Amino acid sequence: MIIHGQWYGEGSAARFRATLQCSNDQFCVETENGNSFAGNLEELTVSERLGNVERKITLQDGSIFATSENDQIDQLFHKQKSIHSIIHAFEAHAGLAAISVVATVVFIFVFIKWGVPWVSSTIAHAMPYKVQQVVGEGSLKFFDEYVFDDSNLDAELQSQIRSRFRSELLPLEEAHVELNYRLHFRNWSVDDTEIPNAFALPSGDIIVTDKFIELAAHQNEIDAVLLHEMGHVAHRHGLEMIIEGALISTAVMLASGDSTGFIDLGLGVGSMLVSSNYSRRHEVDADDYAFRKMLVAKIDPTVLSDVLQRMSGYMEEARSDDESGKAEKDDSDLMDYLSSHPNTDLRAKQARLYSECFREGQIYCDLKLKF
Amino acid sequence: MKTLSFEGSTREYFKIWIVNVLLVIVTLGLYYPWAKVRNHRYFYANTTFDDRNFEYHATGKQLFIGYLIAMGLFIAYMVMQNISPIGSLVLFGVFVIAFPWIIWRSLKFNLLMTSFSNVRFSFAGKIGNAYLNYLLLPIAFFGVLYGVPILSAIVLTKVDIEFTGLTRSLAVLGGFLVVVLAFYLFAYMKKRNTCYAVNGFRYGQGEFKTSVEVGGFAKILLKTMVIGIGVMVLLLIVISIGSAVTMGTAAFTSAFDNLENPEAWMDRSVIVVIALLYIAMIAASFLIMAYSYARQRRYIFKNSRLDHNIAFNSTLGARTTAWVMVSNFVAILLSLGLAFPWAKVRMARLVLGHTFIDSDVEFDQYISQAQGDQSPIADQIGDAFDVDVGVGI
Repeated sequence: MIIHGQWYGEGSAARFRATLQCSNDQFCVETENGNSFAGNLEELTVSERLGNVERKITLQDGSIFATSENDQIDQLFHKQKSIHSIIHAFEAHAGLAAISVVATVVFIFVFIKWGVPWVSSTIAHAMPYKVQQVVGEGSLKFFDEYVFDDSNLDAELQSQIRSRFRSELLPLEEAHVELNYRLHFRNWSVDDTEIPNAFALPSGDIIVTDKFIELAAHQNEIDAVLLHEMGHVAHRHGLEMIIEGALISTAVMLASGDSTGFIDLGLGVGSMLVSSNYSRRHEVDADDYAFRKMLVAKIDPTVLSDVLQRMSGYMEEARSDDESGKAEKDDSDLMDYLSSHPNTDLRAKQARLYSECFREGQIYCDLKLKF
Repeated sequence: MKTLSFEGSTREYFKIWIVNVLLVIVTLGLYYPWAKVRNHRYFYANTTFDDRNFEYHATGKQLFIGYLIAMGLFIAYMVMQNISPIGSLVLFGVFVIAFPWIIWRSLKFNLLMTSFSNVRFSFAGKIGNAYLNYLLLPIAFFGVLYGVPILSAIVLTKVDIEFTGLTRSLAVLGGFLVVVLAFYLFAYMKKRNTCYAVNGFRYGQGEFKTSVEVGGFAKILLKTMVIGIGVMVLLLIVISIGSAVTMGTAAFTSAFDNLENPEAWMDRSVIVVIALLYIAMIAASFLIMAYSYARQRRYIFKNSRLDHNIAFNSTLGARTTAWVMVSNFVAILLSLGLAFPWAKVRMARLVLGHTFIDSDVEFDQYISQAQGDQSPIADQIGDAFDVDVGVGI
């Protein structure tokens, strides 16, 4: 077998026509300028196959024999098979490449739908409680400094809500005794509009605003929202979100690794949709937690959606009063209690099913029976 | 004068690419260095001139450790952003300070891993110059652009000055001077960066030399700005007329009032307008990007040489580049990413087909020069944080 190609001296750009001849395991390279090399095939190193890219065979003295006769080279060096020959087999075969397309799509779907949430939740729950505390610690200080004012509620009301929180709600939470729940009252206003909101930090600090307390029609509504927030803490949603974010941005970085700038834009929108989907799942989880505890505490699950609707109704009114529309733009990420709480069908259905259980007087509701 | 050409095919690259993607996903990212090598090798080896081709020599194994370190840093940064604003600010500061080093090491590594016709490239730029180019000059530029106006605003609020005719025109003049100075600094920075990179390139024993001037960059930048502003104004006019005609201004203004309100989003016409606006903005940015890229490339190539007797030229036009960029982007979006290999091959063909090398001497005289080993860690960190080193063949 004679293979035609080019010969380069070590590190030199000058090239000469050359041939490579082989019999059994012996090779012989003859170059146009009168060099010749001979020896055993095992003394040669050959670059890996990649499409029909020119192959470089390094001879004993570091000089190079280059050729595009890929198939003949593969035949010759069939003993030096590596993992790359398998990869090339995949790349060369149209059917296998098509399977790769399908497999890739399936993998991406599985990764986003189940992989990321599962990994995040596993890691989040494997972390010691201390980590949650550290994550939450700085946040309250930060909010107190820049966002909140002291509460204007009278001290008696505060201590009344607080003692009910301690005596009625905390005992419902027997599984996570190591969590140190604390209730904080704050006033939060933006451009003279008081914002009704409640949210939980991973450390177990739950913050409720004056306006929320004011809008709540009765104690059960406050309890419902507090239980929902406790659900976020118990499920470690704060940590999960950080881990999910890190995973998704790493994946995006890998995907956009060799793309040109603007592809990232599409990926950015995609990852935004994915993470808003995750945060909606968290809301469903927190609802579920709250509903289960509410059955035990004999509170009708519908009060949660009642108070949430009243809060968003109030905000909409405030928004239409404030024509500039600035107010809600500035704090959109802090407003996530309301904005990432769309009344999805799933949440509404969940509330309805729990409410049925409540009316039947049960304190435990097996949703699987109802769905 | 002959052009470079790209010998690869979309069909072939598609298969290489999809297998890469699959393996990266299945190995949870661990395969990435090998995928990167296969990608690079494919594009380098298929870039030919006068029957000689380029070659990318790094191996996956070589990149792997650096890749793991870069990944660790990237994840640490992501997590830090979430838990501590101050911590992430500190990390960002560290990154800014390390940035010139990353560029310098990446250039050294990437050029050494590149050969043409069996002769290796290398980079001879000095680290000190990298700090001047990628840290001090940007600081000076941003200092003038943002620092001066902010400082003077602070001073003006402290000192009570009556705004009479004279002080007002002085303030306007001052503002104008700041803009001119910032503009000049930017062009100067471009020139210095280009000189740093190109003058540091070596091909075997051969040295690259560029004679770009501040004035050349200033002209291109000025035109880019004019085009940018023109396109934006045009866009706004077209869109406001279009939307006023199709749906009446009332619906249009309400679109912006209700950005936060998901239910209002359901109004289809509003979505259409916002989507159009978005697409138009993207198209406009492509146009501006393409113009700046093509013109700067042409200017740099025309004014650079290898050893006095090998000259370069680029005839890449701004409009063609913009068209290919936009259509590539649309194709990738519509195909949910599957058109990526096609787009990449198309872009490579366009760019290489418009790149000329003029040499009356043969390349035969060039010989690789001995270089110490180069670590790929900085290259991988740069990769992770999307630093564009742009060796640019």
